[in-house]
Amino acid sequence: MHKKITLYGGEIQEIPVSNLENKLITVGKKTNLSEDKIKTIAAEAFATLYENMPESEVDQALMQSSAQHIKDDPEYDKLAAGLFLESIYREALGVDSSHADFTEIYQKTWKEELKKGIENGWLSPNLETFDLDALVNIINPERDSLFTYAGLGTLARRYLMRDDKQKLMETPQYFWLRLSMGLSWNEKNKDKIAEEFYERMSKLYYIPGGSTNVNAGALKSRLSNCFIMEMEDSVDHIGKTVSDVLKLSKATGGIGLAVTKLRASGSPISTNNTFSSGPIPFLHIIDSAIRAISRAGKKMGALCFYMENWHYDFQEYMDLKQNAGDDYRRTRTANIAVYISDEFMKRVKADDYWYLFDPRDTADLVDLYGEAFSHRYQEYCVQAESGELKVFKKIKALDQFRQIIVSLQASAHPWITFKDAINVRALNNNTGTIYGSNLCTEITLPTNKDNVAVCNLASINLVRHLKADAIAEIDWEELKKSVRLAVRQLDNLVDINEPPIEEARNFDSHNRAVGLGVMGLADLFERFDIAYDSEAAYELTDKVMEFISYQAIDESADLAKERGMYDNFPGSSWSKGLVPLDTIKILEANRKAGASNDGVAVINKSSSLDWESLRSKVKNGMRNSTLLAIAPTANIGLVAGTSTGIDPRFAQIFSRNTLGGKHMELNVNLVTKLKALGLWERAKDDILASYGDISGLDYIPEEIKVVYKDSFSVDPQAFVEVASRAQKWVDQAISRNMYLATRDIEEVMQVYIDAWDKGLKTTYYLHMKPRHSAEQSTVTVNKSTAIGKTGFGAAVSRKGFGATVIAAQAEVAELTESPVQQKETTNDYKACPIDPQERAQCDSCQ
Amino acid sequence: MILGKPLNEDMNLRPIKYQWAYDLYNQAVANTWFPHEIALGEDLDDWRKMTEDEKGAVSFLMSFFNPGELIVNRTLALGVYPYLKAPEAHLYLAKQMWEEANHCVAFEYVLETFPLDKEKIFAQHLEIPSIKAKEDFIAKFLNRMNDTSLDIESIEGKREFVRNLVAYNIVMEGTWFYSGFMVALSFRQKQKLKNFGSMIDWVVRDESLHLKFGINLILTILEENPELATSEFAEEIKNIIIDGVNLETAYNRDMFPRGILGINADYVNQYVEYIADRRLEELGFEPHFKTVNPAQWMATETDTLELVNFFEAQNTKYEVDNRAHK
Repeated sequence: MHKKITLYGGEIQEIPVSNLENKLITVGKKTNLSEDKIKTIAAEAFATLYENMPESEVDQALMQSSAQHIKDDPEYDKLAAGLFLESIYREALGVDSSHADFTEIYQKTWKEELKKGIENGWLSPNLETFDLDALVNIINPERDSLFTYAGLGTLARRYLMRDDKQKLMETPQYFWLRLSMGLSWNEKNKDKIAEEFYERMSKLYYIPGGSTNVNAGALKSRLSNCFIMEMEDSVDHIGKTVSDVLKLSKATGGIGLAVTKLRASGSPISTNNTFSSGPIPFLHIIDSAIRAISRAGKKMGALCFYMENWHYDFQEYMDLKQNAGDDYRRTRTANIAVYISDEFMKRVKADDYWYLFDPRDTADLVDLYGEAFSHRYQEYCVQAESGELKVFKKIKALDQFRQIIVSLQASAHPWITFKDAINVRALNNNTGTIYGSNLCTEITLPTNKDNVAVCNLASINLVRHLKADAIAEIDWEELKKSVRLAVRQLDNLVDINEPPIEEARNFDSHNRAVGLGVMGLADLFERFDIAYDSEAAYELTDKVMEFISYQAIDESADLAKERGMYDNFPGSSWSKGLVPLDTIKILEANRKAGASNDGVAVINKSSSLDWESLRSKVKNGMRNSTLLAIAPTANIGLVAGTSTGIDPRFAQIFSRNTLGGKHMELNVNLVTKLKALGLWERAKDDILASYGDISGLDYIPEEIKVVYKDSFSVDPQAFVEVASRAQKWVDQAISRNMYLATRDIEEVMQVYIDAWDKGLKTTYYLHMKPRHSAEQSTVTVNKSTAIGKTGFGAAVSRKGFGATVIAAQAEVAELTESPVQQKETTNDYKACPIDPQERAQCDSCQ
Repeated sequence: MILGKPLNEDMNLRPIKYQWAYDLYNQAVANTWFPHEIALGEDLDDWRKMTEDEKGAVSFLMSFFNPGELIVNRTLALGVYPYLKAPEAHLYLAKQMWEEANHCVAFEYVLETFPLDKEKIFAQHLEIPSIKAKEDFIAKFLNRMNDTSLDIESIEGKREFVRNLVAYNIVMEGTWFYSGFMVALSFRQKQKLKNFGSMIDWVVRDESLHLKFGINLILTILEENPELATSEFAEEIKNIIIDGVNLETAYNRDMFPRGILGINADYVNQYVEYIADRRLEELGFEPHFKTVNPAQWMATETDTLELVNFFEAQNTKYEVDNRAHK
């Protein structure tokens, strides 16, 4: 059988299936897939061809046919990634890797595209100040094979540069080189430093944040991922904020916006004797502003509001994310976070009352924190009770906390963040109060009218720092080099960066705040064969983060000697010789001082490195006001092909829905383990049918199940403990996602109370285990046998169609095996339904 | 007995006799969503990049989905609800009917947002024989339910009820809609119509419950009325499902005169047969077509837990109706 396709050249040709098989030969050789399996891929793609289909679509069909089998074997990922790379080469270089002079063309084209970029005003002329002929030789095309299929997709859709006709100008290696040069042109020894950066990044040792990846080396260096600002209680400043939000969103930055200062609804307006409509309508304006921007860019405009929960309109604030109600009082795009004080948490624990005030009456509360906040807040409570303060609401603290948790379960909002842990532990709080965090809850920087905080990010890929892929041992020397180079790169970024508004430039230049984080923690635990919720995992987290923190701070102190300290260093806690570890004691002291109960938990303070000598070094000057922050790494984690941030594995197989579409993620570490035991072929469909949870599969050894838990099976305490141990060393904060199977409000409340107890600064999304999912498509589904019924089975068998007598449920299940699946046996687990709806009806589950 | 004329004594919810129906009602309430939560307008950029054949497929899908939801609603109101005695089943049907209305409005939102030829879409289901045949098929069974001589207490009346139930639930919702969902979700595999995909996610989640209700109802009726399931009647039911496949096959050939990237008529029809076999097996039959699922990528779309980058895509996995108590 032949089908007509339209070749790249434009002519129409009749092709047999062997034509597609040939397209797979070169790439197929880089995988362990058998010839038969590769032929099957060709046949599947061939079946979907239509008349005169363009060859570019034919190539895409081949890629899709490969990708749909990733669930069956990670080797298909290599096949799909290989095909993807070839398509990138064809577009960016005009040839694919089968060309005889491929490497030469790869290197030569780089200079041509660079010149084209500069001539057209897309790239900065500074890139021409490097020794290009020397740099050409460091380009190593082989490193393109480090990417997974999803990683390449993310890279190609988000980060690789395109020209004005949307044609790719970059291959992955050009991309790394653009970043390396774009972040080193201010160096004296720029060629050498660019090469060092390239060596690290092209091997995926660390990766900068998204905005840096998009704009490094560009004519305008909009390199910051994160901005934090606050809104003052005046129409002028609200208007200015809308304008600033538009400009910052256009520059692809995520924004944290503190809004506690806005006066309450019904609060008097002195200029015309009317009353304020409160903050909600103004927040809706901001929401519309970011929505407008999000339509155009590579990354959606994104923002999170921060409000303290003593604000008079806090209840309405929590309703911003409800899916019903007046659209003008909702923010569909913007996120919301609550900024909680120690005073509140103590009142929750003591089942005490909580007062809500109009910030117009209690303006100083916004600036106070820790013990001072508690003291002043209690005074206002007395004033309210005595009638001195007219506008207030009085509720049970526990009731409000419960409402927050209920809202969190229903809409994933508001994110819970802790004002006092953030402020009391800050080493840069000489420049003012921190009013909130950012879009991803890992940045904690002070802001005011003249300072919009900017933070610049990069993340260390932990699993790339093992001594070898199969050895569970960290290469500390390599890790040290990565951390130090990453800090240097981030510090360079501050000088090259051009934030789009004056207030942000102001902050950036005087504070030089950076945030180095990590990704691949769960991946690392798996390589060490330890469970996410184990003491060994907590110890490893502690040890790795202490080391990274130590090296980063030491490097910043070295940079201060080389380049000078940051302007606001005098008066900072750094200047007093404090390091992150020291601030835990201050936090504990603050919590004990104003305590209405004495249940203040003790936070782990052990350490193993020589911090004493670093303290005296730090005292002499730091280059950066902040050094560490652990971002979610949702996209760069994909590029790196590892688990994101400090997250557990969501499930052993799951799909990720991003701006770039929906794709499958399979835990390769688990597949490797199961293949070694000869269990993978048997397990793969069962793992899919059970939504990536292997706990019910009786043929998988217990020691594997312990390590490979899905996120909803991990002990929730582990989310708190892992973050707490990491937070010990991190001077900013951590994007801590939570994953809970329970919907019991009391249990969920306890998790967040523990988070506060253990000194977490922030938490991020709460992922709830879905109770009901749509019917699955590619695995066996039978709702009748799942609940032990046979329907027409009896009637049919009487007539002699199926088997003889259908009585036992197991037999029915066997009979109804789909021809696709070829299950070996029907074990107990398989016979019982996954869906709780069906479990309720299943005898063996009751 | 779940089937029969409701009497005054059937008007108390408690004691609940059919717990499955009440559980499904509660889950359905928790699944509540609204079309405007989806930022459909953001798919317009994709729309501009799509080929004429791709746009044609979406238009053809809408031509049937749009009236389809209302046809199901009418069937529930006139052919199912009046003949059930259990109040818990009535609760569920009331929620399902709201969901059908909600789906109708959701597809209306699609028609408003995408530059589709609305007149053509509204006319297509009346003019194109393959669409009309599907609608006539459903109407035939429903009309028999509305015959004044129908006695729901009789064996023939009960059989008539099951035929209608199989036609709208197993064939229309359980087979035809599922084939359409696969086509709709295929665009997301090509990084297109992502928000439309989120909407379909929600519709599929609802339809999965509708199907659970239908299959539970059929099983319950057969259990309570063992005399219904003779081999002749079983054969008749099986043929209704196979007839449904033939109608869908013709419809898909009209949807894809040529084909689009990743999908053509033969491909979709193979999927229809695969799904129909599943429905047959769920009712206790042997598979008829023994067809392999060609769309292995559906594992990514529907078979796995989904982790959403929240500020990049709509999270469709949250539930309303959480309570501040256990």
